[in-house]
Amino acid sequence: MTKRTLALRRVVQRRPRAVAERRRAKAARAAIDPVTAEIIRGAMETICYEMATHVSLTATTPILNQSNERNATILDARGSLAALSVGIPQFMLSSTLPVRFALEFFGPDGLYDGDVLVANDPYHGGGHLPDYNVFAPVFHQGEMVLIASIQCHHADTGGAMPGGYNVDARDIWAEGVRFPAVKVYERGQERRDVIYMMKVNNRTPTFLGDLRAQIGAAQLGVRRLKEVLQRYGTKTVRAAVEYMIDYAARRFREEVSRWPDGVYESDVYVDHDPKGNPDIHIHCKVTIQGSDLTIDFTGSDMRDNLQAYSTFGNTRGYVVAQLASIMDPTIPKNEGFFNSIRLIVPPGCCLNPPPDRSVAAGTHHPGTEVGEAIAKALEQVIPERCCPQIYKMGMPTVIFGKNPKTGQLFIDHSVDTFASYCGAVYGQDGWGAMNVSFGNLIRATAEINESIFPVRHWSRDYATDTGGPGRWRGCPGSLYVKEICAPAQVYTYVVGRKYPVPGIAGGKPGAPNRLIVRAGGPHAFEVETTAFYVEHQPGERYEYRYGGGGGWGDPLERDPAKVLEDVLDEYVSVEGARRDYGVVLRGSLEDLSLAVDWEATEALRAQLRAARA
Amino acid sequence: MARRRASYRVGIDVGGTFTDFVLLRPDGTLRIAKSPTTPKDQAEGILQGLAAIASEEGMPLAEFLTRVERIVHGTTVADNTMIEMNGAVTGLITSAGHRDEIELRRGFKEDIWDPALPPPPAIAPRRRRIGVAERLDYEGNVLVPLDEDDVRRALRRLRALGTESLAVVFLFSFVNPQHEQRVREIAAEECPDMAVWLSHEVLPAAPEFERTSTTLVNAYVGPRIENYLVGLGRALDELGYRGKLLVMQSNGGMMPVPYVLRRPVTLLSSGPTGGVIGACQVARLAGLQDFICADMGGTSYDVCLVRGAEPEIKAGWNWHHRYLIALPMVQVQSIGAGGGSLARVVGGTLQVGPQSAGADPGPICYGRGGTVVTVTDANLFLGYLGAESFCGGRMRLQPEGVAEALGEQVARPLGLSIEEAAHGIYRLVNANMANAIRRISAQRGIDPRGLTLVSFGGNGPVHATAQARELGIRQVFVPRLAPAFSALGLLMADQLVDEIRSYIVRTDEADLSRIRALFAEMEEAALRVLENGTARRFERRRFLHMCYPGQTFDIAVPVVGRGTELSEREYRATVERFHDLHEALHTYAVRDERPILRALRLSAVGVIEKPRFAELARTRSSPKPKGRRRAFFGGGFRSVPVFDGASLGHGQRIEGPGIIEEAFTTVVLQPGDRCRVDHWGNYWIEVGS
Repeated sequence: MTKRTLALRRVVQRRPRAVAERRRAKAARAAIDPVTAEIIRGAMETICYEMATHVSLTATTPILNQSNERNATILDARGSLAALSVGIPQFMLSSTLPVRFALEFFGPDGLYDGDVLVANDPYHGGGHLPDYNVFAPVFHQGEMVLIASIQCHHADTGGAMPGGYNVDARDIWAEGVRFPAVKVYERGQERRDVIYMMKVNNRTPTFLGDLRAQIGAAQLGVRRLKEVLQRYGTKTVRAAVEYMIDYAARRFREEVSRWPDGVYESDVYVDHDPKGNPDIHIHCKVTIQGSDLTIDFTGSDMRDNLQAYSTFGNTRGYVVAQLASIMDPTIPKNEGFFNSIRLIVPPGCCLNPPPDRSVAAGTHHPGTEVGEAIAKALEQVIPERCCPQIYKMGMPTVIFGKNPKTGQLFIDHSVDTFASYCGAVYGQDGWGAMNVSFGNLIRATAEINESIFPVRHWSRDYATDTGGPGRWRGCPGSLYVKEICAPAQVYTYVVGRKYPVPGIAGGKPGAPNRLIVRAGGPHAFEVETTAFYVEHQPGERYEYRYGGGGGWGDPLERDPAKVLEDVLDEYVSVEGARRDYGVVLRGSLEDLSLAVDWEATEALRAQLRAARA
Repeated sequence: MARRRASYRVGIDVGGTFTDFVLLRPDGTLRIAKSPTTPKDQAEGILQGLAAIASEEGMPLAEFLTRVERIVHGTTVADNTMIEMNGAVTGLITSAGHRDEIELRRGFKEDIWDPALPPPPAIAPRRRRIGVAERLDYEGNVLVPLDEDDVRRALRRLRALGTESLAVVFLFSFVNPQHEQRVREIAAEECPDMAVWLSHEVLPAAPEFERTSTTLVNAYVGPRIENYLVGLGRALDELGYRGKLLVMQSNGGMMPVPYVLRRPVTLLSSGPTGGVIGACQVARLAGLQDFICADMGGTSYDVCLVRGAEPEIKAGWNWHHRYLIALPMVQVQSIGAGGGSLARVVGGTLQVGPQSAGADPGPICYGRGGTVVTVTDANLFLGYLGAESFCGGRMRLQPEGVAEALGEQVARPLGLSIEEAAHGIYRLVNANMANAIRRISAQRGIDPRGLTLVSFGGNGPVHATAQARELGIRQVFVPRLAPAFSALGLLMADQLVDEIRSYIVRTDEADLSRIRALFAEMEEAALRVLENGTARRFERRRFLHMCYPGQTFDIAVPVVGRGTELSEREYRATVERFHDLHEALHTYAVRDERPILRALRLSAVGVIEKPRFAELARTRSSPKPKGRRRAFFGGGFRSVPVFDGASLGHGQRIEGPGIIEEAFTTVVLQPGDRCRVDHWGNYWIEVGS
């Protein structure tokens, strides 16, 4: 490793010095009027949107054009993030660190007008290998002013296992091909050798089309940003970037300063890694002091033999996504937001791995548990804002085999519609399919997939009593049943059985995950850790009882009238109402005569409260 | 047979505050009228307005109505039902295991940053959604036969729950509708009063979430729309009206009431389409093919991209009132930017909209108690609007307090002068609108610079040329009837029947005879409807929707060839055309890839005779301003000429800065703009650089 890459794995993200920050902000304010700054901000966000849209329209892989798993960003010449258009908040940050590596690596004179670069390496700022960053410098009057960047999740990245999710890879090289920062265009000329090399190192035929879609988006961003520079000039645009960053930082700090000072800690766990190492531990210490916010993961799992590593860039992404969900949604997400967080992640722990470890599994777990830990720490001080923006998916299940209709290989990534892990928040029951952070992830349906894959979706209905009880109830999980109609293999990794989605402020956790493979036949079994290449015979089913979201607040405080409504809608059973909410119902659901027995409910709740004490 | 008397046509567009009428007289002249909207029963305001027009035409209402041959109506009843959520008590019967599609929404949520985002108000809460045993595969083969006892049990349960309107959605019903049809038969026995809507009739296309949502909304708004339209028809009938009552749909076609009632959801979001159709027709007459039409009213800014003088009509990911309507719709994008948009400083930056002061209390200068600065207040302060001449002088604007509010609410917090603050509001709302245009063109891969901006709505022409500058657009077109354009558009709309059928197959494995049969079926269905209509001639457009394997969004590819039977060669040429279109739209094609056919669409147009407008006489003299006033164009206030639009003649030219006042709108010319009046009284503005 070079000195430069080490810089990216720094332990502490330094807190910007308040004085310097204020001075810079003042200078920015002097150089630009607020209206022009706002107009340039709007233009940049629109350009991000245009770049992201370009990818959605032109990519050929469902994960890109259908699931919206792409983020477009604009950075300044130092690699500070100015504006973005987000697909999935958790992954929004893996755009900035690879760009900074490239800036350091190529140095001040190494990048030219017309260059386009590709990067995907988790150890050079990225999240995990399938996330490719494509970025291009924007020059005006011979000077690099901005960088347009677009990050997308690709269907494959070489390596031992198709699909880029080799969760049992022995090291990073077994996962796929690494590109720290490679020019695919130089001074406007395509580097055919490099592109060809990338093509032969990828097994999906659509890879090149997707990469070209991304390159096209970056070039579009460059063209549009040049128009903006032409119109307003370098000085004004730079001042506008400073202004937006300063604005976000100011609002971030204003919000933090309203939170009570103190130190708040939490411990959360992942059931196990794909090798079966149990109880991957995250320790989180949040310190609030005035307008300063420090998040420290010292004390998190340091075991040396783990298969569960979230890179620094990935960890930082989950930190920011969780905080963004806790803070006012209107604060712009830019360097001013990110840089206001003082983040401490000791090297060698599961959230900042030793060199060259495999990260395919850890991107999700313990990645997502980073958000869980922050929510659990902050619930002690601002509970009404906390809702863990997480999932307990393990990995997206891959089902592959030969399609009897076409005789060709099919790979079903199970990006299907189902409900899971969606927590309640103060004032709002969990609803829909997933937490709000994943609201851009549009998923496939029976009528789409059954026409393409030899599968049948028999069920994805909510399962009664799976939403975590609370004053506000977690969203139920789905009973998801998929029949596989051809010989096929299932590859997956299951967590969330022992440690399901937690409740907040006295709310109860959601129901745990349960995956039964080969269901509906004599060989059915429940997956405990992983299912690697489990053969399915035609007619056998893949049956996933997806866990529910956590509840918020004491379930004994839930309005009994709401519990009755939940029972009428079969989110909650009559028994569940009694057991989890202390609500006694008379009459029957069958003939719609159900009613709250208020007296019995009072008595039962008093009894349950007494039993707690 | 009685001698055919010269007859009138009336376009009636119901808006939030006013109902607009455009009357086309037998001699081709037009009259615009407005009457207050009656929200409880829109028919009331319509009848009042018609009575007023009749009297202005010098006739009693009954006599006038006997001379009207056609009324074309744009109504917001469907949207109001969704805004107020007071539609029918709605239930759903669906395939077992798929009861919750409408809540799962394919995972979609509108705001990824706000965990407290509430769910959409339920049309059919879970208790009124019941799965029954039945299942088809993707080719329509029965995997599980329909369990009729299950259906009866479900129907009785729904009846016990007070259900008035029922949506039936089975998987792959668009391939084989028998199970859905059987439910209708059983429902007729079990609950004869329940309105029943079958998903394969509402939207015969995959996937199931889109079809479920569309069918549920249809079931929800259907009974109320039926009630309204049947009531209006009866009232007109009782007054002696014997002409046709046609209703504007969201696909831009106007159709007779009985047709519309088969699929009432097609009225949803039809509001802005009238204006788009009007713009297309007027612009086509004026020789424009590719343009952006932008309607800026009091609360919203509606943008539509037009190519080849045809508005884009697209089925798919259309969200309205938090539900997905996957039927073909004129693609109009709305943002919260209008004259009533509020300007506020939040956390040190200026924000304009999307919240609006509406009509009541409205902007501060309306003098109805509004206290927050709006775009209209800024425009008045900047001198773009005249206090005395607003709305043709019918409504005096009150400048008192506007400068103070601007100073206190915007200028001081931002450290700007009052002029800069007002101009900042103007610039920012223009930038917001320009960004909306950029987004809508990005979705189509188009550079807006080569297009013309067609601007209408009460506030559109105040902002048009400033926005055009923002976008690099060189030409702005303001139609003379800009403020009542939606109602005018109703008079110019054609009849349109959209039929769609799902057929998902790799293009090289498609069964051509099945494609032919589906087109024939659609054509028959469409012509059956159109032949009863008012159309003079028919046009038929056929499309194959295709994509590359793995893509989500398909491209509607016009079928090559005009014959009724699609030949093998034409089919192959159409697939080839897909590659071309893909390359044109998205810069690349994968010619060795075999595309997937996803659906077939037929769009049958019954072309109606268009009204002819009276022309203005050519004027050689230079235009005379009616006065001057001080207006701000950056830098400082200066005195600019103000013209009366009604006094301008064909061929006259005005150079900016200047202001042209029309009865219901104002055209602001920025310094450097050059405006000329054409023979219909439309304004053509060359945007200064």
